[in-house]
Amino acid sequence: MGGEIQLVALVKRFGSVTAVDAVDLTIPQGEFFSLLGPSGCGKTTTLRMIAGFEQPTSGQVLLDGADMAGIPPNKRNVNTVFQSYALFPHMKVFDNVAYGLRRAHVARAEIKQRVSEVLEQVQLSALASRKPAQLSGGQQQRVALARALVLKPAVLLLDEPLGSLDAKLRRQLQVELKALQEQVGITFLYVTHDQEEAITMSDRIAIMNQGHVEQAATPREMYEEPATAFVADFLGVSNLMDARATRTSGAAVALDLGSGIVVEARAGDVSASGTVKVVIRPERVTIEQAGVTGPNRIPAMVTRSVYLGNGVRVITHLATGHSLTVLVPSTGDGTPASWEPGESVTCHLPDSALRVLPLDSGAADVQPVPAT
Amino acid sequence: MKRGGSGSPSGAGAGRGREGTLRWMGRAVLTAYFWAFVVFLFAPLAVLVVFAFNQSMTPTLPITGWTTHWFHQAFSDTELTGALLRSVGIGAATGLFATALGIMASVGLNARRLRLRALVVAVLLLPLVVPYISLAVGLLVLLNQLGIQISLWAVFLGHVVITLPFAVLVIFPRLRSLDPAMIEAARDLGSNELTAFNLVTLPLLVPSLVSSFLICFITSFDEFAIASFLAPPGQPTFPVFLYTGSRAPGLLPELIAIGSLIIVASLVVIAIAEGGRRWAERRLRGITAEELPTGQDVPALQI
Repeated sequence: MGGEIQLVALVKRFGSVTAVDAVDLTIPQGEFFSLLGPSGCGKTTTLRMIAGFEQPTSGQVLLDGADMAGIPPNKRNVNTVFQSYALFPHMKVFDNVAYGLRRAHVARAEIKQRVSEVLEQVQLSALASRKPAQLSGGQQQRVALARALVLKPAVLLLDEPLGSLDAKLRRQLQVELKALQEQVGITFLYVTHDQEEAITMSDRIAIMNQGHVEQAATPREMYEEPATAFVADFLGVSNLMDARATRTSGAAVALDLGSGIVVEARAGDVSASGTVKVVIRPERVTIEQAGVTGPNRIPAMVTRSVYLGNGVRVITHLATGHSLTVLVPSTGDGTPASWEPGESVTCHLPDSALRVLPLDSGAADVQPVPAT
Repeated sequence: MKRGGSGSPSGAGAGRGREGTLRWMGRAVLTAYFWAFVVFLFAPLAVLVVFAFNQSMTPTLPITGWTTHWFHQAFSDTELTGALLRSVGIGAATGLFATALGIMASVGLNARRLRLRALVVAVLLLPLVVPYISLAVGLLVLLNQLGIQISLWAVFLGHVVITLPFAVLVIFPRLRSLDPAMIEAARDLGSNELTAFNLVTLPLLVPSLVSSFLICFITSFDEFAIASFLAPPGQPTFPVFLYTGSRAPGLLPELIAIGSLIIVASLVVIAIAEGGRRWAERRLRGITAEELPTGQDVPALQI
């Protein structure tokens, strides 16, 4: 079946703009892999180079070990689901799906059978004789999927395929897409700017920023051990603070957060020195009564408190000047601890939860690159 | 079209009467303007049709009697029918050729990278602003220099030059409105560039191609300056025949009869073109708009 993609030092420049900057990735056969990043990070350009719509400036795209350089899109065993669906408006659903098979000169009876099968699979059999304009957005999306899948490609490329659907339908289709991928077993390369979407569906994710890959990992690794400040910030779940590493001692590093407050961190790059970023996830912070002292405890003031049902999100202002979000789960008897705005408290940042990140990659400020 | 409700919302009190009067006056003025416009546009055409059946040699009132004699006479006049056929032939050839060139020019203009795009556009659209008479003289001089006899081919070439801008102006916007991802999808699904163009781009251009053909045909059919310079003696196109013939009073009733036939033919062509456009749009959408789904999605998709 195949379907292994290798990107080797892949570069794409448009004039003076570098859209994709030395990307190295290996996506094994059968994986659901997402390219995640803000708009203009180079994820769509990367996808288009794999599809064959763009030629790399340098570097290689290998499909099952074969260099794709100079091979046109129609000769690649790869199919694409476009963001705009790009259905052929003058053809019926059946003819849209049969398009690729006809180009491959598949026998008429087999075309009929394969199209019927795939339409069955996406539950569109009843609509085979409709025109795309007569379908809803979700239905059109499924036609686009069926049209690509009927060719049994080694790799399916999906360019923000759920981008133009409403939130409820999107969540539903995320589950269905994942199930479909597991069923057909081919490699899915999924481009999205929606971190929730990527985390829900993917086996692995690569977060891209300004043309390069910040981190490629499983959603869990990405979430629990973000490699860079950009990743932590983009996943949007962590508190991110500037700090100065003052002294390292084996597995721990002392961090000066400003205002003379020093904490100890034991996760991430503990050998770092100088200016660093430090992250801590909201659920790892605990709030204690004001006046409690001890290591890694910082006086703070509650600025906002949001009831979430299963807990409370408390936003505090640390004595260091940082803003810190804390997730306080409901207690055993169901009553969430309540913290009123203006209340003085102490925040405990456990050293095992404080993760030190190297301050290299332009941190969180995203430089927009012209549309790719 | 349904007009909005008349009158202001409740509580306008005394102001309502005045507002109502103003509204009524406005509507009356607009209606009068509309009919004046229609009369101005169509009265000459109607007059022509009426006098085509007039028994008298001179188109003056009162009409003394009705006849279809002039139609018979016109169609037995081989000079006249010859000129008409020549113009139809040149018009059809011009329409086809200019539309074909217009497709190519539009594809070129639509390319992502095109050197000197502004210059290319300017050159393509230049014939729009150059007086036809200058083009005609220029072509005549050029053909003379090249030692080529003037002929109906020269008229055809001249007409392609002047109609190409119309073809581009009709086809290019349509081409640019197509989602480029559609062509990429066709390539992705296994078509080479030519097949993708033939199976996806071209069918979606059809409405604009029909418009382009009709506009180019009519422009050529109607064109006098170039034809008068380049049509060889004894082979006038219809407008050339008309202008020379209208000076011979004996021909006038025949010309009026043919003129009225052309008016009727134009109306038929327009009706067919409009019907064809609607048909093409329906074909694109499937059935009628009323039967479109209301955007409800199928709830769950079990795979």
